[in-house]
Amino acid sequence: MTVAKQQGGGVQKDPQGGLAEVLDLILDKGLVIDAFVKVSLVGIEILTIDARIVVASVDTYLRFAEATNRLDLHAKGGKDLSEVVGGMTEGATQGGAKGKTKGMLDAGKEKWDEVRGERQSNREKA
Amino acid sequence: MTTTEDTKDSQETRRGSYIYGIVPAGVRIPDGLDPIPYGDQDGELGLVTEGRLAAVVSDVAADRALGTRRDLMAHEAVLNAIAQDTPVLPMRFGAVVTDDDAVAEELLAPHQDYFVRALEQLEGHLEFRLRGDYDQDAVLSRIVEADPRIQQMREKIAGVDEDASYYDRIRLGEAISHAMDQIREEDAQACLDALAKFAVATEVKEVGGENGAVHLAFLVRTDHRSDFERAVDDLGDAWAGRVELRLIGPTAAFDFLPEFDAPDEAQA
Repeated sequence: MTVAKQQGGGVQKDPQGGLAEVLDLILDKGLVIDAFVKVSLVGIEILTIDARIVVASVDTYLRFAEATNRLDLHAKGGKDLSEVVGGMTEGATQGGAKGKTKGMLDAGKEKWDEVRGERQSNREKA
Repeated sequence: MTTTEDTKDSQETRRGSYIYGIVPAGVRIPDGLDPIPYGDQDGELGLVTEGRLAAVVSDVAADRALGTRRDLMAHEAVLNAIAQDTPVLPMRFGAVVTDDDAVAEELLAPHQDYFVRALEQLEGHLEFRLRGDYDQDAVLSRIVEADPRIQQMREKIAGVDEDASYYDRIRLGEAISHAMDQIREEDAQACLDALAKFAVATEVKEVGGENGAVHLAFLVRTDHRSDFERAVDDLGDAWAGRVELRLIGPTAAFDFLPEFDAPDEAQA
């Protein structure tokens, strides 16, 4: 999700960033209250969401391979063979894989449903 | 909800002061900000002032979990709005203490010098974050064309049945992934080369997403802001079609808090 943008020199300007951007910051950065306040802390349960994306995985590799396979390059060498074989099977393999790849991207991108209750501190109240 | 005596009693204790961040005393909070909801109702922002400092707070019901989308966005939006005009030390999401007295007496009073010093350092500075994503076809073409080994691997899987080429495709994807990491490093360096001179501090951050290209944070003096933004636009032009850049900010200086492990007096 992105907030209102204005175009400028080909760079999108975004005052705040989307939820993923915000999560990245405010759950990891900022002053930690526990370091300063001991007695009167209220241990409210924080629901955090693991939105981090695993970049180097087999799924990613397969998607890269698929995307590379789809590239329209001026292939050098071995072109004849791959073109012939590719022409025969392209429709079947690509159609199927494309749908699958799309699905995986969507699922992997922002997995908000994996809510894990983190940091449920039980501190004494003042 | 029916109000029995029981819930009425506990209501008194079951509120907390949610702390967004710390600002110099006497600053005005921008109007129209949407704080974290109290419970079912809207919250209300306020300032707890103690000496030369003030904490930006709102009441939250202590019996609900924090972390909805609205909570998270509110925390960030409040801090960013304040950061436009005034230095602010952001708290990490989820800082709640029993009441406003605790904010003043336990947070602000004992660490006064420390927070004042940190705010002075941030005065007149803004944080920007630059993110970029690769145009996937462009970056893949570049990788394939630059590496004969990858070219061969690509040709090997072309037209081969998906199951039969499974391991070859993994090897190809892995090689591409490594090549991309290499390009990411070069591009992060290119960003630093182009932009670091307009910033007083920079940080190369982890790039998210498989097409992620660059992710950097910059602490920029307000009087260098337009030079910085111009340089970002130039970089965007130079990278057009290859990397799509996004400039986020100015925001609160989350990435440039002074070396902020707890001060000694807070360790006690």
